Amino acid sequence: MTTEKRHRWVSYLLFLFMLIPALIALFPLGALILASLKPSTELMRFGLNLYPQFELWSLDNYTYLFTEGSIYFHWFKNSLIITFFSTFLALFFSSMVGYSLAMYSFRGQNIVLLLVLLVMMIPFEILMLPLFNMMIALNTVNTYAGVILPMLVHPLAVFFFRQFALGLPKELMDAARIDGCSEYGIFFKIMVPLMTPAYGAMAILLALFSWNNFLWPLVVLRTSDMFTLPIGLAGLLSPYGNNYDVLISGSVLTVIPIIIVFLFFQRYFISGLTVGGVKG
Amino acid sequence: MHRRLFSAFIVLLCLVLAGCGGEQEAGSEANEVESVGSDDENATDLTFWTFQGLHVEFYEEAVKSWNEANPDRPLNVQLEVFPYDEMHNNLLLALQSGVGAPDIVDIEINRFPNFLQGEIQLEPLNDMIEPVQDQFVQSRLDVYAADGQYYGAPTHVGATVAFYNTSIMEEAGVSPDDIETWDDYVEVGKVVKEKTGIPMTAVFTTGFWSFYPMLNQKGSDFFDAEHNVILDNDDNIEVLQFIHDMVYEHEIAEIAPGGRHDAEEFFAYMNGGGAASLIMPSWYASRFVEHMPDQSGHFEIRPMPRWEPDGFRSAGMGGTGTAVTNQSEHIDLAKEFLAHAKLTEEANIKIWTILGFDPPRHDVWDAPELREENRFTEYFGDGFFDMMLDLKDEIHPLNITPQTPLARDLIETNVLHNVLREQSQTPAEALQEAADELRNQQ
Amino acid sequence: MERMKSLFYSQKMAPYIFVLPFVVLFAGFYLYPVISTVIMSFQVILPGQTAFVGLQNYQKLLNPTFFTAFWNTTVYTFWTIVILIPLPLLLAVILNSPIMKYRTFFRAAIFVPALTSTIVAGVIFRLLFAESDTAFANSVISFFGFEPIAWRQHAGTLMFLMVGLAAWRWMGVNLIYFLAGLQNIPKEMYEAAEIDGANAFDKFRHITIPFLKPVSIYVLTITLFAGYKMFEEAYVFWEVNSPGNIGLTLVGYLYKEGFQYNQLGYGSAIGVTVLIIVGILGFLQLKVLGVFQKKEGN
Repeated sequence: MTTEKRHRWVSYLLFLFMLIPALIALFPLGALILASLKPSTELMRFGLNLYPQFELWSLDNYTYLFTEGSIYFHWFKNSLIITFFSTFLALFFSSMVGYSLAMYSFRGQNIVLLLVLLVMMIPFEILMLPLFNMMIALNTVNTYAGVILPMLVHPLAVFFFRQFALGLPKELMDAARIDGCSEYGIFFKIMVPLMTPAYGAMAILLALFSWNNFLWPLVVLRTSDMFTLPIGLAGLLSPYGNNYDVLISGSVLTVIPIIIVFLFFQRYFISGLTVGGVKG
Repeated sequence: MHRRLFSAFIVLLCLVLAGCGGEQEAGSEANEVESVGSDDENATDLTFWTFQGLHVEFYEEAVKSWNEANPDRPLNVQLEVFPYDEMHNNLLLALQSGVGAPDIVDIEINRFPNFLQGEIQLEPLNDMIEPVQDQFVQSRLDVYAADGQYYGAPTHVGATVAFYNTSIMEEAGVSPDDIETWDDYVEVGKVVKEKTGIPMTAVFTTGFWSFYPMLNQKGSDFFDAEHNVILDNDDNIEVLQFIHDMVYEHEIAEIAPGGRHDAEEFFAYMNGGGAASLIMPSWYASRFVEHMPDQSGHFEIRPMPRWEPDGFRSAGMGGTGTAVTNQSEHIDLAKEFLAHAKLTEEANIKIWTILGFDPPRHDVWDAPELREENRFTEYFGDGFFDMMLDLKDEIHPLNITPQTPLARDLIETNVLHNVLREQSQTPAEALQEAADELRNQQ
Repeated sequence: MERMKSLFYSQKMAPYIFVLPFVVLFAGFYLYPVISTVIMSFQVILPGQTAFVGLQNYQKLLNPTFFTAFWNTTVYTFWTIVILIPLPLLLAVILNSPIMKYRTFFRAAIFVPALTSTIVAGVIFRLLFAESDTAFANSVISFFGFEPIAWRQHAGTLMFLMVGLAAWRWMGVNLIYFLAGLQNIPKEMYEAAEIDGANAFDKFRHITIPFLKPVSIYVLTITLFAGYKMFEEAYVFWEVNSPGNIGLTLVGYLYKEGFQYNQLGYGSAIGVTVLIIVGILGFLQLKVLGVFQKKEGN
């Protein structure tokens, strides 16, 4: 057997082998879409079987979402607003810190870097009791601000931007200074554009984190008109008012936009993620 | 790349816009938030949380009748339903933080003590309750009280009964009339199991009904009147052993699918004729009607079997105290509405006609409305109410203490699961462990 | 005023200005809460009434429920590490091989579950692993002659569901990390090794593994920390209260004591304990893997 032929065989085998994890990954999502077409109370009672049962199919679950008074799109809107602002602000602050740590040398630099690493180690979850008290004091319980505020420090993002900025050309800074550009001008006019790939990758990561975030919004958001999608959907999991229609079709509509966005950004995202996050 | 970014942004934007278009008008039957009441622009808005979707219809009626009776003070009440745990936790957080609590809220009896600690954030209802106090079953007011202040308006007496599936029993050639004592129950169960293959009953592993009523029937409880822990006394051990033996020795009972009285799996099981009987408080009748429609006409309600020849045939179980929170901007109005909704004679009649519960106000028990046909008599046959009335003197009082929430939690998480499902502990071991934990926390 | 302005624009000041928001937010949302948690852990707190009680909250920790929570969390973390490190590594090596076809497709397919929230994933798992005989998982095992299982009701099967959920969602993320690590290995290394007559296994052992060490440490660290702060994977199956506490985790216990029983002091004591556990584990792990000596070398 020639090497070439052997390679082709190995490549077929590997292809077949990789189909297994790919199927395991995609199958549950297909199952969810199938489930969303079936009567939902029956599903909660008997679970999902894989017989198509075309005679049971309907879009009722989806029309439910769009009926007047359905609160689902309220949650959707809350999720979008919170995701947008927390991502935007966290990107802004994190990139400044990461950039500064990479491009300048200043007193206390190492302390700040250490703080960043330390924050990465502290599980946010265990701070929720005092943070909740703090939100009470700040009058931000049951507001968007209450959800977003503690999310503005994102150590992973700071670290990532630092790693990325380490690769930026320092000579540009000196050239810009000679041209009379201020330090802030350098950052916003020159460096921010250069960091676009890093912003792209982190934007997706932070947005994903915020969109799916559960525990903290569960604690801060008190009334159902303020809920985000995960909180609202989780509340539909128990039997108390037959709202399973919204649960299952709502889950589908929660995932699909993200998948579409991901497929658009895919290459960008993965290449961006591999640049700096993992070193050191 | 930039073009792609742009188009992705457009997709997202479309979703945002679609999202905003969908929720402009509120007020249909479609979701768990329902707004009922007057169209009047001057109507006062009140929010109302409950953990039980079946209560919604009852309060909707109350809002309607309030607005008819008080055209000068119309109300618009937003009724929100949350899952049991979520609603109670949510309420605790809201009261603690001073933000987001509703005006009026249904609090389940076993969680009520959590809200009576420290500075109480609920409004005393004495001025509403005292004028009608004599007409009420006093013990049902006491369970929601602290230091002489009443914080909750009761919903029902909650007499526990036996629900028998007479179709299954007939098939086995037996009848509920054959059952007087728990020993009879087991013997009849053996016949049913042998003839039909269907178990006599299903036992819960994450719900403490059946266990609690059966031990209360004996005059026992989790705590004595002085709040001492008696969870591990002989009576309780005996009852738990009895339930265990029904499953594993006599083989007339099985573990309920879903493990709880309110699990969808369990509704499906009973709706499909999964067990020949069920021991539950009478308020469970509403769950039969709502969630198990296929069995309409097959079930009959009887007193619980007795332990001793002269023993009690029921136990008063469960309950919901409806309270007004101190965050309400219209405390007096909320209290008046609550009194209208739950304390009046008409309200107590509706507690039966809409919810199928035994009303806590005893002066309505003779009212003709309680003998009329409704969807509960249609499902269970006539005489349902009189049977419950019969039991009212066969009910021991309950001792609700600040530790009641924890006791329920320990029983529903550890005791029943370990003894009945996993069989990893004997009844004595499991109850003693739970009792010790309660004593340690005292 | 003018001086302030020039100071603000000076090259010396700029880095501090850049870092300032982070430091302020750190102080407000991490430092203060950490200190506050430690203080609260020595208190009993009721609405409007607070009292210091010494170590009472910590003494209360010595109860079976806390140990159950600790045990569940540890078992969960163990299994996620066992599954979520070797498997993604293997898949990454395959996907990184030049003879592999449709790499982008596979990479995307395996990553897609990471886009779902735990809640949505939980909905799917609950439908597939329902208790009924006809549900997907039970019909599969019945096909192989096993009895249907009440998946959510037993300690072992629930752990399987929780770990399965985590593995399903995180496989793709860890895969990407390992792929990134693999792509950083210079191709010349492999070429040189081939000239020396090394086979595929030798190359994997002597080049791939050592080069992947930093990535592996990173992945191990995040998996370890994620394991000890797990909450959602249990919440979707049982919310806070599960039979026999089979779904109780440390953070779940904290949530339950703090928010269901309003025991803020005791909840804080749980939090401080988790912080100490995570700190010790993180330190041990980095020490054992020899990260500290390497850091100094840099």
